[in-house]
Amino acid sequence: MTLPIVVKDLSFQYENDAIYILRHLNLSVAKGEIVAIVGLSGIGKSTLCYCLSGIIPHVYGGMMEGEVLLNGKSTRDLTLPEIATNLGIVFQNPDHQLFSFTVEDEIAFGPENLCVPRDEIARRIDEVLEKVGMKEFRYANPQQLSGGQRQLIALAAVLSLQPEILIFDEAMSQIDADGREKIKEMMLNLRADGKTIVIIEHDWENLQIADRVLVLKGGKLEPFTGSLS
Amino acid sequence: MWQAAALDPRTKLFLVLIFSSLAVFIKNVYILLLLLFITLLTVKVIGGDITSIFRKLQRLITVFVAIIVIQSIFTAEGQVILQLVKIKLLTDVGLLRGVQTVLRFFIVIAAAAIMTTANPRDIIQGLIQWKIPYELAFMVTIAIRFLPLLQEEAKDTLTALQLRGVNLKKIPLFKRLKTYSYLLMPLLVSVLMKSRDLSVAMEMRAFRAFPHRTSLRELHFCQADYLVMAVGMVLFLLLLMISVKIN
Amino acid sequence: MISLQDVSFRYQRDKWLFKHLNLEIKQNLITFIVGPNGGGKTTLGKLMAGILKPQAGTVLVDGLNTKDVALAEIGARIGYLFQEPERQIFAASVRDEIAFALELRGISQEEINTKVDAVLKQFQLEQLANLSPIKLSRGEKQRLAIAAIMVNQPRFFILDEPTTGLDRERKGILSSVIEKLKDEGIGMVIISHDQYFVQRHAQQIITVAGGEIVDVASCST
Repeated sequence: MTLPIVVKDLSFQYENDAIYILRHLNLSVAKGEIVAIVGLSGIGKSTLCYCLSGIIPHVYGGMMEGEVLLNGKSTRDLTLPEIATNLGIVFQNPDHQLFSFTVEDEIAFGPENLCVPRDEIARRIDEVLEKVGMKEFRYANPQQLSGGQRQLIALAAVLSLQPEILIFDEAMSQIDADGREKIKEMMLNLRADGKTIVIIEHDWENLQIADRVLVLKGGKLEPFTGSLS
Repeated sequence: MWQAAALDPRTKLFLVLIFSSLAVFIKNVYILLLLLFITLLTVKVIGGDITSIFRKLQRLITVFVAIIVIQSIFTAEGQVILQLVKIKLLTDVGLLRGVQTVLRFFIVIAAAAIMTTANPRDIIQGLIQWKIPYELAFMVTIAIRFLPLLQEEAKDTLTALQLRGVNLKKIPLFKRLKTYSYLLMPLLVSVLMKSRDLSVAMEMRAFRAFPHRTSLRELHFCQADYLVMAVGMVLFLLLLMISVKIN
Repeated sequence: MISLQDVSFRYQRDKWLFKHLNLEIKQNLITFIVGPNGGGKTTLGKLMAGILKPQAGTVLVDGLNTKDVALAEIGARIGYLFQEPERQIFAASVRDEIAFALELRGISQEEINTKVDAVLKQFQLEQLANLSPIKLSRGEKQRLAIAAIMVNQPRFFILDEPTTGLDRERKGILSSVIEKLKDEGIGMVIISHDQYFVQRHAQQIITVAGGEIVDVASCST
C-alpha cells in the first residue's frame, strides 16, 4: 500500500539565502496517523509545511532537491488543485485565510472552483459544518467569530474538498485554551475517520494527542525522546 | 405581498442607476424634490436605513453651505440676498443652483442606501451573472472585506506613533510629509503580508482550477423584480419627459 | 499611576461594554489582566493608555485626565505594546526605528545617538541594528517595539498579549526583558491568557469577564 506522505531526501534553500534550511530530510507518515513536528521559530517549520503541501515549488521558488510524494505521486507532477483534493492545510492566522462574507460561502469556495454541482456543494457544507460542530453558524460572518471558531471554519473550508491528508501549520498558536481543546478534539475525530494528520507547532504543550513527535533541527527531523508534560 | 429585502440585487442596482441618472438630468427643483421623496420612500419600503442617510448628510453640511455660497459668488445674474462688502454671498439664482446641487447629492446618497440592503456576496454574484469576469468581482469582494480590518490597523498605527511622543499637531509642515511616510510603512507591510498569505490559502483551495466555476448561489429574477423594474422604467421616462417639457 | 473612576465605555450605541468601573493601578507593581476572549481585556488596556476615551467617567494617568492631554504626552508616561508588533514598527532599519520619533521631535543628533546606542545595548539589538525590521522574528520585533518605546523613558508599560506566537525560548527572553524593566522600577499591566507566564510574573491579578472586574488578587512572587 502506498503511504499518504513520503518525503525522500528533501533539501531546500531559498533564493538569496546562503544556507539550506532543510537538509536531506526524510519522513513517512502512515494512513490514520497523527504526526507532530516541533521546532523553534525560524528553524524551517513553515518551509517544511510549504514543501509538504506543494506550495513549494508551485507558488514559492527556491532550490528544492529530493521529492515529496502524496499518495505515491510527486508534488512536482501534481497541480495545486489536484493537491488540494488530496491535502488540506490550516494556517496560523485565521484572518489571512478566510475571505468570505458568510461561513457558507467560505466553505463553498473550494468546491465551486472545482466545478462541483450545486446540490453536492450544499450537501458538503452540511456535512463539514456538522463535523466541526458549527452548524448554527452557517450564515454568520466569519469575522464576527472567535479565533478558535474561525480556525474551525478554516478547517471546514478545506474539508469540503475531501482531502485524505490534513496539515495544521501552527494552527493553534493564536487562539485561546478553549479553542485549542476544540481543535485537538477535532483532530482525534478526523483520525478516527481515517485521515492522516501532520501538526506543526512551536509549542510543546499541545502535542499529547500525537502518535509520534518529531523535532526539526539543523534541517532534519529527529524523534523526540523527552516527556511532553 | 412580496418580501422587499428579497429583491434581486440586480433589480436594486437598476433602481440605483435610475434614481441617480434622473438626479443628474433633472434641473427643476420641485421635480428633484419629488424624486427625492420617491427615492426615500423606496429605501423605506426596501428596508434600508433612512437615519444613516441623514447622518451622512450631516457631515456634508459645511460642503453644502460652501456650494451655495460659491454658486452665488460665481453667478453673475440674480438678485442679491446677502452681501458682504462687495462680494455677493447669497443670490437667488445662486441659492437655487446650490439647492439643486444639494438635492442631487441627497438623492444619490439616498439611492446608494438601497444597495446596503443587499448582501455583498449577492451583489458580486449579480455582477458575475451580468458577465463581469469572476476574478475582477472577487477582487472587489476581497477589498470590501478587508477594508475595515485595514482601517483598524491604521488607527492603531497612528496611535502608536503619537504614543512615541510625536504630536502631529506640533510638527512643522515640512516634516509632516516625512511623518506620513513612516505611517505608510506598517500598512504596506501588513497589506503585502496579508495578500501573500491569502493568495496561498486560495491556491490551496483550488482557486482558478478551471476557466469556469460553479456557484452555490444563483440569482433568479422573480415576478416582483420584473414588476419593480417596469415601474422604475415608467417612472424614469415620465419624470424625464416632464422635466424636458418644463424647460 | 492609573486610576479609573466610574468609567463607562461602549463601542456601539446601545451596548455598554463597561459600566461604572472603578480601578486603581499602582506604579510599582506588575499587574496582569486575565479573562476569557471578548471579555474586554484589550479595551480595558486601551482605556488605561488613553487610546480609547470613556463615554462617561474619568481615566487619570499620573493625575492627568486622558480626555484632556495629547497622546504624545501620555506616551512619555506609558508605553503601550500592541498585540501585533507589526502595527507599531515604522522604519526601514532597526536603528532608525528607535531614532526616527526623536528626530521628528527635533532632538539633537548627538543626543539621539547616545540614547539609541544605550537602548540597543540594553535590549541586545546591537547586532541587528542595520537590519530591516521586516526580517526580524516576531519575538525580535516585539523587543524592538519595546526598545523604541523605552527611549522615551516611560515609567509604566501596558503589554497586550505579549506571548502570542512566541516559542518557549523566546518567551524566556521576553521574561528576562520584563524582569529587567521591573528592576528599573517600571510598573506594568500585562494582558495575557498564558497561565505559565502569569504565574511567573504576576504581583496582582485582575480578572475581567463580561465587562466586569470579577476578581482582584494579590500574589507573592
